[in-house]
Amino acid sequence: MSAIIQCRGVTKIYRQGSVDVPALRGVDLDVEAGDFATLSGPSGSGKTTLLSLIGGLDRPTAGEISVEGQPITAMPAAQLADLRLHKIGFVFQTYSLIPVLSAVENVEFVLRLLGRPAAERLARARAVLREVGLEGLEDRRPAKLSGGQQQRVAVARALAPEPAIVLADEPTANLDSKNAEELIALMASLNTASGATFLIATHDSRVIAHSRRRIEMVDGRITADERQPVLAGA
Amino acid sequence: MNRLWMLGPLAWRNLWRNPRRTLITLAVVAVGVWSILAFDVMFKAWEQSSLEESLRLLTGEGQIHATGYLDDPGVGHSMPYRSGALLGALNGPAVGAWAPRVRVPAIIQSEYRTRAITLVGVEPAAERRVSDLPGQILAGRYLANDREIGIVIGGDLAVKLKTRLGKRVIVMAQAADGHLAEAGLPIIGLFGNTTPAQDEYAFVGLGAAQSTLGLNGQLSEIAFDAGPSAKLEDTVAALQRAAPGLDTETWMALSPLAYTMQQFSTSYTAIWLMVMFVLMAIGIVNTQLMAVFERTREFGLMQALGMRPATIVAQVMLESALLIGVGVLCGIVLMAVTLLPFTNGLSLGFLSAGSEMAGGGGVLYPRLDPVDTVVYATIVWVLGVMTTLWPARTAARTPPVVAMAAN
Repeated sequence: MSAIIQCRGVTKIYRQGSVDVPALRGVDLDVEAGDFATLSGPSGSGKTTLLSLIGGLDRPTAGEISVEGQPITAMPAAQLADLRLHKIGFVFQTYSLIPVLSAVENVEFVLRLLGRPAAERLARARAVLREVGLEGLEDRRPAKLSGGQQQRVAVARALAPEPAIVLADEPTANLDSKNAEELIALMASLNTASGATFLIATHDSRVIAHSRRRIEMVDGRITADERQPVLAGA
Repeated sequence: MNRLWMLGPLAWRNLWRNPRRTLITLAVVAVGVWSILAFDVMFKAWEQSSLEESLRLLTGEGQIHATGYLDDPGVGHSMPYRSGALLGALNGPAVGAWAPRVRVPAIIQSEYRTRAITLVGVEPAAERRVSDLPGQILAGRYLANDREIGIVIGGDLAVKLKTRLGKRVIVMAQAADGHLAEAGLPIIGLFGNTTPAQDEYAFVGLGAAQSTLGLNGQLSEIAFDAGPSAKLEDTVAALQRAAPGLDTETWMALSPLAYTMQQFSTSYTAIWLMVMFVLMAIGIVNTQLMAVFERTREFGLMQALGMRPATIVAQVMLESALLIGVGVLCGIVLMAVTLLPFTNGLSLGFLSAGSEMAGGGGVLYPRLDPVDTVVYATIVWVLGVMTTLWPARTAARTPPVVAMAAN
């Protein structure tokens, strides 16, 4: 399998006052197309930072990152935005929906940016919302949805344009057990169905149990990277 | 382009996320536009009134003289009575009204005092069409015809001469043949006005003045106003073509002080309006800064989802353009409604005397000029939208990861 994400010597140092705080220390990582991989590790280990850099939301201090063979480290902001739009779907820890848009409009938002025709994008948005179990709630604004429902809308938004890569940062952190289980199962089934690559930063053992590749990070370094079959009944 | 289409509805909804702030901004813009228009309308109404007061005394909108008269305004620089092409032009559509005059320096003498004056021979009926002085009689009456034996002088001049209505005065002036001409005339009317210099004029009938001075039908000047639908420059050009040997001038050349004052007023208005524009822009930028910066996280999210920084800027600018555009329209409507009760003029009431002392009239006619309205509305709109550029660019330039971490 070919690497859809490639990180070489990726280093990120944040400056806090006069102190340099290294968040990543020379990370090398290849993620293959279709992977369902988790990044785990204690708080401050660099999981979120690595996801942000891979998604082009921030730039590394040193090293090189490629997405589908395109180096993104020095890419201009507008080009990075286009790359995210066409290749990457994000699911954030907090629900991160646009409050003035309804559930279906939030999902449509990315499809509008992509320039899809109105009828097509509405049908697609409704279909994805149905897939994530939100049929009947399409016209509600985020304030009228529960936390779990909002996170499902965020997942639907990430998946609607059928991206090659889905980057999820602690997607179950603010969900109760039932909602978390449902979301994990949803992402796993979508990975199987669409073949999209999932890279998930998480502490949640249930998410880790579903992953086919488990990457552990400590102090800005990858300390373990294992491939294993999904546990039955996990 | 497709991306921009999606921004409109989003911008409109964003405006109403915080209705109170939106309404406050709308009120700031509407009241700002209203006050700018009100200041402009009232100042221009007063300026127009002041100018008309000045021009409607004697000057008119323009005058025709014999060449050299303006340098040496004596009987020696007279011109033939109107005839031919000039008469045709004066009676044509380019000229609204005109009045022939003899105007020479003279001496007026009562039993007690002597003073230097300007003697003006007029055709009373024609004079009433270009000048308001015949309507400013304090005592007695104005001249009935151009052959009447009588003189109308200023009320203040009568005081200075220690004379009064009905008494006789002697008027002396150089005649056309070089001799000193003199005439004893009864005072038939006293006029009053607020411009002391005008008090130094004395009016007699045109025919009487011509025969006393031996002018044989000749004139010193013809005062004129442009026709109702004619531009003054076009009127002057038509008269110059009709009488190329004469000196035709506009009021700007004849009354440089009035012209300078008008220019000064225009500059003052422009400076004051700029101050108002800047103050309003500061008000707008403050609210827009708050509106943008409290949504930093959302702009980070939009970038993370693939919205380009330039589209973020367009989004913020569009919101601003909508908000300020609606505010500007409200301000214009407010001003139009404010002016409705004054369609027949705004009486200054107890302020009239002060206005007249300052050279204005007692009644102002405020009008909303369409060109000024469009210009000021556009300036406010563009300036307001431009003030949003900085917070918009800041929002768009903040890296998504930093923006999304903002509280």
